[in-house]
Amino acid sequence: MNNRDAYDTAMNEITQLIQQIAPDAQIEAKQRLTVTVRPDQLHPVIEALYGNETLCFDYLISLVGMDWGDRLGAIYQLSSSVDLTREVIVITATADRDNPLLYSVTDLYGTAHLNEREIYALFGIRFINNPDMRRFLLNDQWKGFPFRKDYVHDPKLNPETVVSSEIIDVAPHIVERDGELIEESVAVFGEEDYIVNIGPQHPSTHGVMHFRTSLDGEIVKKIDVHSGYIHRGIEKLCESMTYPQMLHLTDRLDYLSANINRHALCMCIEKAAEIEVPERAQYIRTIMDELQRISSHLLAWATHCNDLGATTAFIYGMREREHVLDIFDKTCGGRLIINQNVVGGVMFDIYPDFQKDVKAFIPYMRRRLKEYDDFFSHNAIALGRMVHIGLLSREDAISYGVTGPAGRASGWSCDVRRYKPYALYDQVEFKEIVRTEGDSYARYLNRLDEIEESLHIIEQLIDNIPSGEVCAKVKPIIRIPAGQFFQSVETGKGEFGVFIESSGDKNPSRVKFRSPSLSAVSVIPLISQGAFLSDLIGITGSMDFVIPDIDR
Amino acid sequence: MLIYSQPLELTKLLAAIDNFLQGNLTPGWTVLVKGILVGILILAAYTLIALSLIYIERKVAAFFQARLGPNRLGKYGVIQSLADMIKILIKEVIQINKADKLLFYAAPFFVIVASVLAFGALPFGMNLHALDFNIGVFYLLAVSSLGIIGILLAGWSSNNKYSMIGAMRSGAQFISYELSAGFSLMTIVVLSGSMQFSEIIEGQRYCWNLFNGHLPAMIAFLIYLISGHAETNRGPFDLPEAESELTAGYHTEYSGLQFGFFYLSEYLNMFIVAAVAATVFLGGWMPVQIKGWEAFNQVMWYIPSWAWFFGKAGLLMFFSLWVRWSFPRLRIDLLLNLEWKYLLPINLANLLVMVVIVLSGFTLTDLFPALFGK
Amino acid sequence: MKFIQYIGGIFTALRSLAGGMIVTWKELLTPKVTMEYPENRKTLVISDRWRSELIMPHDENNEHACTACGICMINCPNGTIQVTSSSIDTEDGKKKKILDKHLWDYGSCTFCNLCVITCPSDAIIFNNDFEGAVFDKSKLLHRLNHEGSKLRDRKKEASTLDTSAKKENKEA
Repeated sequence: MNNRDAYDTAMNEITQLIQQIAPDAQIEAKQRLTVTVRPDQLHPVIEALYGNETLCFDYLISLVGMDWGDRLGAIYQLSSSVDLTREVIVITATADRDNPLLYSVTDLYGTAHLNEREIYALFGIRFINNPDMRRFLLNDQWKGFPFRKDYVHDPKLNPETVVSSEIIDVAPHIVERDGELIEESVAVFGEEDYIVNIGPQHPSTHGVMHFRTSLDGEIVKKIDVHSGYIHRGIEKLCESMTYPQMLHLTDRLDYLSANINRHALCMCIEKAAEIEVPERAQYIRTIMDELQRISSHLLAWATHCNDLGATTAFIYGMREREHVLDIFDKTCGGRLIINQNVVGGVMFDIYPDFQKDVKAFIPYMRRRLKEYDDFFSHNAIALGRMVHIGLLSREDAISYGVTGPAGRASGWSCDVRRYKPYALYDQVEFKEIVRTEGDSYARYLNRLDEIEESLHIIEQLIDNIPSGEVCAKVKPIIRIPAGQFFQSVETGKGEFGVFIESSGDKNPSRVKFRSPSLSAVSVIPLISQGAFLSDLIGITGSMDFVIPDIDR
Repeated sequence: MLIYSQPLELTKLLAAIDNFLQGNLTPGWTVLVKGILVGILILAAYTLIALSLIYIERKVAAFFQARLGPNRLGKYGVIQSLADMIKILIKEVIQINKADKLLFYAAPFFVIVASVLAFGALPFGMNLHALDFNIGVFYLLAVSSLGIIGILLAGWSSNNKYSMIGAMRSGAQFISYELSAGFSLMTIVVLSGSMQFSEIIEGQRYCWNLFNGHLPAMIAFLIYLISGHAETNRGPFDLPEAESELTAGYHTEYSGLQFGFFYLSEYLNMFIVAAVAATVFLGGWMPVQIKGWEAFNQVMWYIPSWAWFFGKAGLLMFFSLWVRWSFPRLRIDLLLNLEWKYLLPINLANLLVMVVIVLSGFTLTDLFPALFGK
Repeated sequence: MKFIQYIGGIFTALRSLAGGMIVTWKELLTPKVTMEYPENRKTLVISDRWRSELIMPHDENNEHACTACGICMINCPNGTIQVTSSSIDTEDGKKKKILDKHLWDYGSCTFCNLCVITCPSDAIIFNNDFEGAVFDKSKLLHRLNHEGSKLRDRKKEASTLDTSAKKENKEA
């Protein structure tokens, strides 16, 4: 009750605050407080929310570009780093479809930079005061803005080409000076810069990531993140699919947390369509999520070690991950893309020996964790490669929205499982691992410790799986009521969110996935500036991102 | 000193060949034919050793990593590296448009010639020694450092940024670690009083230099292993080709046979370092002997000297593989720190200590001549 | 004091490195995890639920359970399934849809299992025959109903036959 009151007072405070700045803003208290403002009021409103000391909306969960047919706009989901349950949504839109302009919030949130560039590429909305308004995900030659509803999908407009085009190093941007909008362009790199392409084909970018790195000897001067090589337009694809069909695409975002991503989408649909998930399914989901987290962290550990040159550790990590995959394989017939969650529950019940296998895995994994510790965690060379490398301060972590083990290594307690418990996380006991060092080593240790915590969670659940149905009865065609829905979960990489805007149809009208990897990548230019080239590789390894999750 | 029976020694065979040649040819031709024969033998041994090392490394690495390693070709994959060699030989040598052609093609030869030169001067066994210079240690250090020229040229001429960074790293690394390797060998030269391999080996008949010089010799041994390992550009010192950073470093642009040269010489350099360490510290081809235990010594002599040599070198190579597959890679500044802040100062002090020990007669041979004396 | 730190640092480092080497040494002697496929074909265990190839179980009378309703086709997220049907007149004068071809494209399937769970008559299942590699892309297009097969008469057959047919297929 107390919480509720505090919540209400906070919300009142927000309302008052916003009304002072933008008297004509529409404020609705839906599931979350939703504020609709004019484009010119957007920045002052967000700045006020950001700067307010008691509310402290300093965490931009996601920035969603929108096309409502007559208007183009953006949805800002703000939250507070102190209390993740505190959320507010700010919506703004412009009717100008030919030259839509909004104000940038990059000065407040670091993560806004790449998100705004993505919105520009997909919706054609440009952001005033964003210092670098090149398209992200799409190349500069792309004609049309594919996520607009009136986009003409014609291969003739954007023919497939095998000829590589030069990357343009000139960044256009719009600045506002004395009330006037001035279009300018700046060079991304200097004339004399020694630019090395780390990627798109590179052993250590964990996929087709492209870091254009300017070097001074071995020292990294500047990094330009260039991504989108496997942009499949999953969000757009979702708009043409029914809700059950959409599910199989989430596994293909962050494929290392496939099951957890899918869990998020299922929960979002279940919340919207008000479907009750059976208890047994919740148990299975939670256990599978934790197993998935273990496998994700194992792979992250393995690849991080491999990036630092320890090939042997890579094989060890993969070997242990295989045990988890075997359990997945037996449960639902898939190893990487496991298709376990469906709307209303899970597709497959656990197999008879599931509990036995998982219980055998737990002590095995504990022994291995001990081995990892002996093998790598105290190794003098490894320490030299990780301690005080890639320092990420708490403020930067929040500003760039770096969540997950990496965010918690910078002292930011941001575990969605703790703040916004879903499935059975409010019934199990687990520690949130928070370290304050903010270096690669803290991120490294956080992952290993989280594996231990995951094992602990599984231990609490594995013997108590209740009998019953594994899937609620769901109508063959699922429709969710009109409105906006958001659900976030804690994947192996951080906070993964699903945003659905529905018009009540059987297809969603907009889907947006909040990608933890995008945040991790957006902060890399900042934290690896001045580091050695080798450390850049080590830092990317420690941030643990997955490219399909960035490109979507 | 007793002459032990040595049934498996190649001495007689060599003498027979020598007699045959001298009996049939003029002295000038004898020298020429012998030179050619030795050259062929050395090149054949070079290839054979490199190929088997590649196989052994892959197998050992796999076993450290809980895998099986090559297991497709032949029983346990034994002919895998032979197949790889054939593959590399018939592969196209890719022309790089913007490369500096002359230097690009010359670079692999520098690397391989340097390692063949060093390889040729190794004492493989009793009388199995192509060149026994009186400055053998010095010669070996000198020619093995030629290889770095090839690596620098390769990096520069490839016109590739990864290669360039790799070559620059290699330059810094090699020059630094050459100092340590040189000083640690000097420590032993001080101890044994000679630079000639045959004399160094003879001096270790009853007591290896490693034990003879006790503490300073052991430190020198360790430093030589570390710096030798670093000179061969192998993990954890594989910065020049750091595959997770620079894809393949200085040889990124090489293909086919040229790449094969780099590949072979890398493995051979590993062998050379191990062989030198075995010769200088562990008595080389000299079997383990204990003064006065004639029966035991005879048994030891039944094992031929070349087997002792390869056994000792093999042990050290296994150690090198073990290290390689256990540790992450160093960063360039850590690497140089290790050399200039740790290895070099320790090494210099160590050399001084060794001089004092030798002059004041604290070596084991001086202290216990009855047990270890020559 | 600094000198002691210097020496102490060396020993700490050496100890940590030795720790790592002990681990690799232990691993050197442990059993290896490599599976030697295809030599281990006989002992290879593929889990029962493994989704590999979509099949339509036929019984010994060359009958299947597909009514050609096309629900699998509608549900498939990426158009992997194509069901073609034609209508015939039955004896009692009613129109009835019968299956002509049930085509499934191995190459574009994402194995999401939606077709199987939505099929009202349980006519299709995934088997676990994972060796599906072919040399020609066109061979990836599978026709699931056998030549000359027809719809099983539901009234006549009990569901036992269905399950036995499934079992048979698995064994095959």
